[in-house]
Amino acid sequence: MSDAADLPAGAERRPDYLASFRLLLRHAAGARPRLAGSVLLATLSVLCELVPVWVVWRLTVAVIDGTATAALFAQQAALALAAILAGYAALTAALAQSHIVAFQVIHDLRMALARHLARLPLGWFAGRRSGAAKALVIDEPEKLELIVAHGIPEGTSAVATWLAVSAWLFAVDWRMALASVLLTPVSFALMARAMTRTGRFVADYQRAGERMNGSIVEYLAGMPAVKIFNRGGESFAGTADAVRAYTDVETAMGRAYIPLGSGFSALVLSNIVVILPAGLWLLAAGAIDLPTLLLFVILGATYSQPLLKLFGLFQQLAQVSIASMAVADALAAPPQPDSGRRVDLPNHDVVFEGVRFGYEDGPDVLHGIDATARTGTVTALVGPSGSGKSSLAALVPRFHDVRAGRVTLGGVDVRDIGLDQLMEEIAFVFQDSLLFSGTIAENIRFGDPGATDEAVRAAARAARADGFITALPDGYATRLGGRGGVALSGGERQRIAIARAILKDAPVVLLDEATAFADPDSEAAIQEAIGALARGKTLIVVAHRLNTIADADRILVLDRGRVAESGRQEELLARDGLYARLWADYTEARALALRPDQDAPDRKPRARNACMDAAE
Amino acid sequence: MTAVPHPHTHDHGHDHGHDHGHGSGAAPRSDLESLRRVWAIAGPLRGKIARGIAFRFLQSMALGLSFGVVVWVVAGLADGRPMTTDWAWRATGLMALSLLGQLLFAYLSTCEVWIASYQVAGALRLSMLDHLRRLPMGFHLARHKGDTVTVLTTDMQMVEVFFADALPRIAQALGLPLVVFAVLLLRDWVVALATASSVVAAVPVFLWSSRRLSLLGIRRQDAQAEAGGRMIEFVQGIAVIRAFNRVASGQEGFRAALEELRDISVRMVVTLIVPIVAIAVIVMLGAPLTIWVAGQRHFAGDLPAGTLITTLVLLFSMYAPLLALIGVMESTRIADASLTRMDRIMTAKPLPEPTAPHTPFGFAVRFDGVGFGYAPDKPVLRDVSFTVPERSMTAIVGPSGSGKSTILNLLPRFWDVTAGAVTIGGVDLRRLSGERLNALITVVFQDVTLFAGTIFDNIAFGRPGADLAAVEAAARAAQAHDFISALPDGYRTRVGEGGAALSGGERQRVSIARAILKDAPIVLLDEATAAIDPTNERAIQAALARLVADKTLIVVAHKLSTIRAADQILVLEDGAIVERGRHEALLEAGGLYARLWNHRTRAAGWRIAGEQPVGETA
Repeated sequence: MSDAADLPAGAERRPDYLASFRLLLRHAAGARPRLAGSVLLATLSVLCELVPVWVVWRLTVAVIDGTATAALFAQQAALALAAILAGYAALTAALAQSHIVAFQVIHDLRMALARHLARLPLGWFAGRRSGAAKALVIDEPEKLELIVAHGIPEGTSAVATWLAVSAWLFAVDWRMALASVLLTPVSFALMARAMTRTGRFVADYQRAGERMNGSIVEYLAGMPAVKIFNRGGESFAGTADAVRAYTDVETAMGRAYIPLGSGFSALVLSNIVVILPAGLWLLAAGAIDLPTLLLFVILGATYSQPLLKLFGLFQQLAQVSIASMAVADALAAPPQPDSGRRVDLPNHDVVFEGVRFGYEDGPDVLHGIDATARTGTVTALVGPSGSGKSSLAALVPRFHDVRAGRVTLGGVDVRDIGLDQLMEEIAFVFQDSLLFSGTIAENIRFGDPGATDEAVRAAARAARADGFITALPDGYATRLGGRGGVALSGGERQRIAIARAILKDAPVVLLDEATAFADPDSEAAIQEAIGALARGKTLIVVAHRLNTIADADRILVLDRGRVAESGRQEELLARDGLYARLWADYTEARALALRPDQDAPDRKPRARNACMDAAE
Repeated sequence: MTAVPHPHTHDHGHDHGHDHGHGSGAAPRSDLESLRRVWAIAGPLRGKIARGIAFRFLQSMALGLSFGVVVWVVAGLADGRPMTTDWAWRATGLMALSLLGQLLFAYLSTCEVWIASYQVAGALRLSMLDHLRRLPMGFHLARHKGDTVTVLTTDMQMVEVFFADALPRIAQALGLPLVVFAVLLLRDWVVALATASSVVAAVPVFLWSSRRLSLLGIRRQDAQAEAGGRMIEFVQGIAVIRAFNRVASGQEGFRAALEELRDISVRMVVTLIVPIVAIAVIVMLGAPLTIWVAGQRHFAGDLPAGTLITTLVLLFSMYAPLLALIGVMESTRIADASLTRMDRIMTAKPLPEPTAPHTPFGFAVRFDGVGFGYAPDKPVLRDVSFTVPERSMTAIVGPSGSGKSTILNLLPRFWDVTAGAVTIGGVDLRRLSGERLNALITVVFQDVTLFAGTIFDNIAFGRPGADLAAVEAAARAAQAHDFISALPDGYRTRVGEGGAALSGGERQRVSIARAILKDAPIVLLDEATAAIDPTNERAIQAALARLVADKTLIVVAHKLSTIRAADQILVLEDGAIVERGRHEALLEAGGLYARLWNHRTRAAGWRIAGEQPVGETA
C-alpha cells in the first residue's frame, strides 16, 4: 500500500447521485407513461398489503369491546383474503410492467451507445481496452435495471404509502404517531453515520482491490514463466500479500462500520419497543383509549418496513450513479466531424503537407511530414519501431486527424471529403486481420454488401482463398468465431481479409504490415493475393520485411516522426544512410543462423562477427 | 406487513462475460442443496459463523420478547385489568431490555460474521492461488485467463456477501416465526397448525421454482455472454468497420444479440415473478385462514378471548420475516453459481509428482512413440519418435496445425503424453521431480511477459540470488545492456503493469537475458513469425545465438537460415513425422519438405510490384 498512499485521497470522481435520473430523462422519455402506470400499481399493492393489518386491528377491537361475531370474523377474513390476492396481482402487474420498460430502456440505451461509438474518432478507443467498451455498453446500462424496474416503482410506492399512513396516524393521535416514527430517522441516521465512518477507508479499499486484481492478473499471465523458471513460491508470495492486504482493509472497514451500522438492522424493526410503553403511559394518564393503543401496536409496528427497500436502493445508488456517469460521458463524447460532402476527385494522389500528429494529449509523434503517393504507384513506409509509419498511414482514412498541416486525396483535404465517400475511396488491410462472427461469405461481402455470390467467389479466388474455403465442409457458409465457429490459421484469415478488400475495389489501398502475423507457409499465397489487390491502385505499404518493398516506386524512411530519406531502393542504398543500415540489419538477421552450421564453414565467421559486433 | 420480494433476474455487477462453458456444466440445483454446498466451504471458520448466526437468532428472540410484552399487556387489558403506572413501568423496563438485547446481539453477530466472511474469502483466494500454480500449464492455456480472474475476485465477493449478509438473515427470518409458533402451540394447537399450514404448503412450490430459476439464470447468463462477445468484436473491429464504411451493418451482428438479451430478460422476469409471487401469496394466505379458524373456534367456545387476541396481534410477526427468505435464496443461488465456477479450478488435478524421483544421465531428449491429444477423440500427435542428442540442434517444420508447438509443450510437462514416453537423459519426464525438470529446460516464448518490478528483478528471475554483475553479463549477451543503460533508471527501471513502455523487441531481449542467466542445458524455442523492425530483429537473432550456444536445442523453425543449420529436421504433418534428416537430403527427396521450402524461398524473395518472384537476396 505504501506506494499507493501518496495518491491524493478522493481523487476518484465523486458520484453524482442524480446521474441515472438525468440519463433516463434524456433517453427514456417515451417510457414515462408506462412507468407511471407501474408506480400506481405498486402503490395499490402496498395499500392492499395494509388491509389485512387493518382487519386484524378491527377484529381485536371488536373482541375487546364485545361486538365481535363469527360472521364478522368470516367476513373480515374474506376481506383480508381479497386484499392479499388483489395486492399481489397488482404487484405482479407493476413488476412485469416496470421490467419490460426497464429492459426496453436498457436496450435503447445500448443501441444508442453502440451507434455513437461507431461515430467517435478512433483515438477515443486507443486508451481503452475492448473489455472496457463491452462493460460500457453491456454492463453499465444493465445497472439501470435497479432504478427503473425497482427503484422508481417500489421506492415511490413505499414513500407514498408511508407518508399517507403517517398522516393518518398523526390525525388519529399525534403523540402515538410520533412514537411510531421515532426510531426510523434514528436508525437511518446511525446508518449514515456508520457510512461516513467507513468513508475514509473507501480510497484504501479501492486501491487494495485494484492492487489485488492487478496482482492476480499478473500472476496468471506470468504462469508460463513462473513454471519455466520454477519461481512459483516467489510470485505467489507477492500476490498472497495483495490478497491479505485486501482482507485487512475489508476487515478494518467492517470494524469501523459495525459499532453504529449493526444497530440499524435492529432499530429499524423495533418500533414496537417505543410504541407500547408510550401507549401505556398515555393510557394510564387517560389520554388515549384502548382501540387507539391497539391501532398503533398493530399497524405502527410494521408500516415503516417498506422503507427498508429504499435503504437497499441507496446502498447501491453510488455504483449505479457511477455507471450512469460513464454512459453519459460516452454519449457526450463528440463524434468525429464529418463534412458529409461528395467531392469529384480528379485523381487519387495522396499528399501529406506539413503533417503533425500526436495521440490524445501525448507529444507529437509526427513532426511535419511532406510526401506524395501518386496514383498507380507503390509508396513504402519503413523505419525503426516507433518511427511513426503506421500513424502516418492511419491519417489517410482519418482513423485519426492531423494536429497541423493536411492530408489530401486527389487534391482535396480528407476532412472536406464526407466520411462515407472517403471510406469508399480507400481499402485498408490491417496487421491483424479481424473477421466477424458470421459466415465466410458474409465476411467477404463486408467489402460490398450488394455483391453477388459469383463476385464473392471471384474475390476469394483472386485472394487465393477459394481453395481452402471450398475444402471446408460448409464451404462459403462456414461459420467463423463465437461458439462452434471454425478456427482458421492466421494466413487463412488474412486471405479472407484481402478478399474483402478486393471485393471493395477501392482506388487507394493501404497495407499495414499485412503479412506480419501470417504463418510462413501461407505467406506466398498472401503475397499473390496482395499482388491481385494492388494492381493499378495508389498503394501505400508499411513494411518491416524490406525485400518486399525493394521495387517500390518510392521508399519513405521515417525516423522519430520525420522523413529521414526518400527515394528508390538503389538511391537509398547508395546514400549509405538509415535505409542502408536497416537493409544491412535486415539481410544480416535473415542470414544469421541460430548456431554456426558445421557443413557451411563460410557462414561461421559471419555469424560470430555479428554476435561480437552487436555485443559491443 | 409483507416485505415485497425483489424478483432480481441476475446479480448486479457480476460479470459472467467469459464463462461460456457454463450452460452445460452447471446443473440447476434447489436452493437448499446450494445452501449445503456453500456452507461446506466455510471450513475452519464455520464455528465463528455459527456463533454469528446464533447471535442473530438471539437478536430475533430479543425482538420476540417485545412481542411477548405486547401479548401480555393486550391480553391483560382485554381481560379488563386497569392500566396502572406499576404495570407501565414494568412494560417499559422489559421493552428497554428487549431493545438493549437486540442492539447487543446485532453487534455481536455482525462482528463475528462479517470478519469471518472476509477471512473465508481471503482463505479461499489464497488456497485457489496456491492450487493454480500446482496445476499443469495445460490447464492455464486451455482456459480463458479472464475466467480465472473473475473467480478469484468477483465470485469470491459473492461468497463473501453470502456469509456476511444472506446467511445471518436466514436466522433472523426464522427466529421470530419460530417463537410465535411455539407460543401459539402452547395456547392452542389447532390455531398454531392453521398458521403453519400455509408455510408448509409453500415449501414444495419454493423448491420447484428455485430449481427453475437457476435454470433460467444460466440461460440468461449465456445470452449476456453472447451479447458481450459481440460487443467486444464490434469494438475490436471498429477500424475495419470504419474502413469498409459498414457502420450500420456492423451493428447488425450485435443488434440481434442485444435483442435476444432483452427478450430473454423480459421472458425471465415474467417467468420469475409468477412463482415468487405465488410463494408469497401462499404464505400470506395463512393470515385469513388463521383469522377465520381462530374466530370460529372462539365462537364455538373452544378458544378463550385472550388467546384469540394473542393470535391476532402476533399474526404478522409470523409471516413478514418469512417472506424475507425469498430474497435470501436469491443470494444463495448467486453464491452457488460462484462456487460452481470455483469448483472447476479446485477439482483440476495437479501433475502427479514421482515418489522416488530419478536422476537423468545427460541431456539427450527422446520421444518414444508419443501420442497426445487435448481431447480424447482428436489426436494432435501420433506415434512421434525421435532423438535429440546432447548439444545438437533439431528444427521442427510443418504446415500450421501439424502439432509443432505441441511437441515443445510436452517437454516442460505443460501436458502429459497420452501414449508413449518423453525422456531426458534416459529418464521418463514423469519420473523427474518438478524442480529437476524445470532446472533442465528453458523455453523462449513468442509472447513475452515481464513482471511488475525492475528490469533487474526481471532478469534475475532466471537465477535467484544473481548479483548485478551476473545480470549485466546476461543482458550484454542478450544485446540488451545498451538500451537498458540508456534508460534514466538503468537496471532499476520499473517495467510491467504501469512501468516503462519497452518495445516488443526490447521486451524480447530482456526475456532472453533471463533465459541466458538461467543457463539450462536444454532450450526450447518457438521462433517468432511476426515481423519486427530489422534492427531489433538482428539484435534478437544475435541474442538467441548466445542463448543456444552449446545447448540441446529444439526449435519450431520459420527462418530459412535456422532450418538450414539444424543437425536434424523433423517434418510434421497431421501430428506425425513424415520426413526427417538434414536440409540437403530432404530437399533432394522432393517431398513435403521440398514443397514447403520452395514456398518459403519464394515468399522470402517476394516484392510488391515486382514483375515476378525473385530468388533469395541474402
